[in-house]
Amino acid sequence: MTNTSIAYEFYQFMTEKNVLIAFTGHFDHLVTTSLLKYVRVKLKELNSDPAIDRKIYSILVESIENVSKYSAKSSNEPIIAMLLLCKSDTHFTIITGNHLLNSDIPILREKLDKVLKYSPVELKKMYREQILSKRTHENSAGLGIIDIAIKSNNQIQYNFKLSTDDTSIYLFQTQINIFDK
Amino acid sequence: MESLIIEATEDSPKILFDTLSNRFVISGESRPENAGKFFTPVINWIIRFEETLSQRKQEKNIDLPLVFVFNLEYFNSTSAKYIKDVLLIIKKFVDQGYPFIVEWHYDKRDDDMLDAGNEFSDTVELKFEFVEY
Repeated sequence: MTNTSIAYEFYQFMTEKNVLIAFTGHFDHLVTTSLLKYVRVKLKELNSDPAIDRKIYSILVESIENVSKYSAKSSNEPIIAMLLLCKSDTHFTIITGNHLLNSDIPILREKLDKVLKYSPVELKKMYREQILSKRTHENSAGLGIIDIAIKSNNQIQYNFKLSTDDTSIYLFQTQINIFDK
Repeated sequence: MESLIIEATEDSPKILFDTLSNRFVISGESRPENAGKFFTPVINWIIRFEETLSQRKQEKNIDLPLVFVFNLEYFNSTSAKYIKDVLLIIKKFVDQGYPFIVEWHYDKRDDDMLDAGNEFSDTVELKFEFVEY
C-alpha cells in the first residue's frame, strides 16, 4: 500500500469515527496544556453543553495523568503514549494508551476492578477516604480513577495488550453520555 | 502580615489573600505541573496567618468576617487534596472561634463543581455559602 492510500484510509477513519483529536507522543506538561487548549476550542465550536465540555476536560486531564503515572520508565527512550477523543450522536469517548511494565499490571488491575464494581455511593465513600488519607506523593492524590468513575457514571473500560516480554499497552476508555447530566 | 498575591498562569490559579480587606481568594484553573511546589507556600502562608489572627484577637479587633473564596473553573484531583488541606486549616480557625466564611463559587451550568463543593463541605465538616454565577 502506498503512503497516500494509508493517509486516505486514516482520513476516512478519522472522519467516520468523528475523531476530534488523535495524538501519539510523549505527554509532558507542555504537550498536555497544548492539547487541552485545542480541545477546549474544538468543544466550543461544537456548541455542546458547557457542563459536558467541562466533564470531558476534567476526565481528559485525569486520564492523561493516569496513563502517565503507570508508564514504563525508560532511561533513554521517550514514552510514546496515545490519546483519542471521538464523538457520536449520543456520547463522547476518550481513550488513552501507554506502555507499562507487565509487573505493574496486577496492582493496577486490582485497583481498576475495585472502582469498576462500585456503586455511586461506594465511589463517593472511597473518594472521601482517599482524600483524607495521608499524602504519599506530592504530585498525586490517588484520586484520578475514582474521580473519572464518579464523573462518567462509571462508564470505564480498560485493556492490556501484550507488547513485549516485559511491557504491555494499557488502554483506558471512558464514555461520557451527552444527555445525562 | 503582608498579603499574598500569586498571578494565575495557564495551569495554576490566582491567589489573592488580602489581609486588609480580609478576603482570601483562590480563582481560575488548577492543574499545576508540580502541585506540591505550588501549594506548599500557599498553605504555609495560611498557617502563619494564625499569628495575625491571634494578635487581632488580643487587640479585640476580630469582629469582621474573614471571607475565604474558592472561585475555581477547574481543578484536578491532585489539587483537590491540597484544597482539602486548606479547608482543614480554615476549619481549625473556625473551631478556635475566628469568624471565617467559606464561599464556593460555581458556574450554574456546572453540576460537577457544585457537587465538588458539597463534597468538600461534608468532608471537612464546614458550612459553605454557595454562590452561583
